[in-house]
Amino acid sequence: MNQASISPSKFSSRFKSFFRGNLGGWIVILAMVLLPFITSLISGQSISNLLANESGMAKFVQGLAIEIFILALYALSYDLILGVTGLLSFGHAMFFAVGAYLTGILLKSFGWSLWATLGMVLVAAIIQAILFAVVLPRVQGVTFALVTLGIASVFYIVIQSHEMSAYAGADVGLQGVVAPEFINAADHRMRFYFVTLGLLIGMYLLYKRFVNSPTGRVCIAIRENEKRALMLGYNTFYFKLIALTLASITAALAGCLHALFQPIVSPHTASMGFTIAALLMTLIGGVGTLSGALVGAAIYRLLEYGLKNIFGEQATFLLGVVYVLIVLFLPYGIIGTWKLRALQIRSGWQRLIGLVTGKPKQA
Amino acid sequence: METLLEVRDVHTFIGQYHILQGVSLKVRKGGITALLGRNGAGKTTTLKTILGLTPPRQGEVIFADQPIHEMRSFDIAALGIGFVPEQRAIFRDLSVEENLKIAERKRGDLRRKQEMIFSLFPDLQRLIHLPGTHLSGGQQQMLAIARALVADNRLLLIDEPSEGLAPVIIEQLILAIRQLSAETTILLVEQNFIVAGQLAEDYVIIEEGQSVKTGKMAALVKDEQIIHRYLGAA
Repeated sequence: MNQASISPSKFSSRFKSFFRGNLGGWIVILAMVLLPFITSLISGQSISNLLANESGMAKFVQGLAIEIFILALYALSYDLILGVTGLLSFGHAMFFAVGAYLTGILLKSFGWSLWATLGMVLVAAIIQAILFAVVLPRVQGVTFALVTLGIASVFYIVIQSHEMSAYAGADVGLQGVVAPEFINAADHRMRFYFVTLGLLIGMYLLYKRFVNSPTGRVCIAIRENEKRALMLGYNTFYFKLIALTLASITAALAGCLHALFQPIVSPHTASMGFTIAALLMTLIGGVGTLSGALVGAAIYRLLEYGLKNIFGEQATFLLGVVYVLIVLFLPYGIIGTWKLRALQIRSGWQRLIGLVTGKPKQA
Repeated sequence: METLLEVRDVHTFIGQYHILQGVSLKVRKGGITALLGRNGAGKTTTLKTILGLTPPRQGEVIFADQPIHEMRSFDIAALGIGFVPEQRAIFRDLSVEENLKIAERKRGDLRRKQEMIFSLFPDLQRLIHLPGTHLSGGQQQMLAIARALVADNRLLLIDEPSEGLAPVIIEQLILAIRQLSAETTILLVEQNFIVAGQLAEDYVIIEEGQSVKTGKMAALVKDEQIIHRYLGAA
């Protein structure tokens, strides 16, 4: 019996079930599209005000959301190599920082156009993925983590060096990057918002497609047991290289957006701490779930913002406590635990409905 | 008698340990050859050496007249050697269908073979969309073998297929492996002598990393002295 072919009559039902199966995703996308308008309504700002890019609550919320989208792109890329392929990298911040610094330097010091800059960022992303992959056949597991940490540390030192200070701004960071007018976030906040949102959605769908493709399946197989994948005749090196390259391009793109959006590219983006941020966001959301990376990024940034607003400097400690609690009580992350429990929750609901309506239903 | 696989005086080290200290064996084309020996004798290491997972430091492995002991394991697998590892090593996060699909070496392998696979293991068709974690031990073993059948393999290495399975399941397994041997050559590692005795035509006994005895299974089954001496079973 051939299960793979779909008859045309089944297509519409497939489409419907696809729509229904991703209902949560559609709602989130719709909410994100409406977010600027809703916040302007709530804060009593008129829509024409909003469209004219007037300062206010709506503009601020968009800015916060843009930061979350950029972090989400970054966390998504980390989930691909850690959660899907099973490579523990401690140098992931470098993927992001190369995109951010390169964009800033090429725009500011060399006066390149945005498109040429993007092309260069793409090339650099591929090169750094290869640089990370070169060591792959020799080292595995924790050793790979340490080697990547080493490579990223070198980069961290170089961008802060005296010799680079004319370009990278040493330990202060790279300032005064002027984004091209048509995408300038100060003047066209909403345009930048939708560009970032669009890129995030596009990348997320691409990642979903990748994980479900034969290549993505091999990456999952490598995560589970690389020797078994080898025994099936797969040269696992190439699959790890593909995952690293895709992750590197995504993270560099996030870095590029970061440089265009933020007034300053701080060396922090290349530090170990920023890699830990990626790890945290993926852990909070659920390793290997992809959508978890997006949820994790939102929670990470909102918690940081909210706690800092209320508690000031003590927030860092509280953040740590919250993360420990999340990891303790939701070891598979929010989305991961949700997926595990979804069946139980659904049958619980049905039992509850059965109790209320007096008709017990089978789960 | 045509030889498909020949292992010539192979020495393999794992770390500093000299595990295989001279294993030689021949696998005849068609039929089943059993690799016998006590726990820790080096049976699984022999399979891993053939597959290039633990390459030999000395000696040769010849598959279809081609030396393969210096090749990388994925290249060896691509020559048409399928491996069914012990403990039913399936991919637990992938569904039954994905587990089979991932073993394709050419596009459409699974579509061509699925009729044969499902006739051997009807259970798998029913469970096709279930994730690997949800399968029982027997079903996982069936899937592990089925996975090795998807691609056109000329030789199957099967490691301890009956380990930890219920007698009823073992019966099914024996039937399936026997049917398979009509189409492909099998090198079988098996602790359970009753299973091995029913299936194999030839045998090789390994003791302390050395091949010590080869011959016809029909003769071995009658020779209680050798069985007792090398296998500790009667």
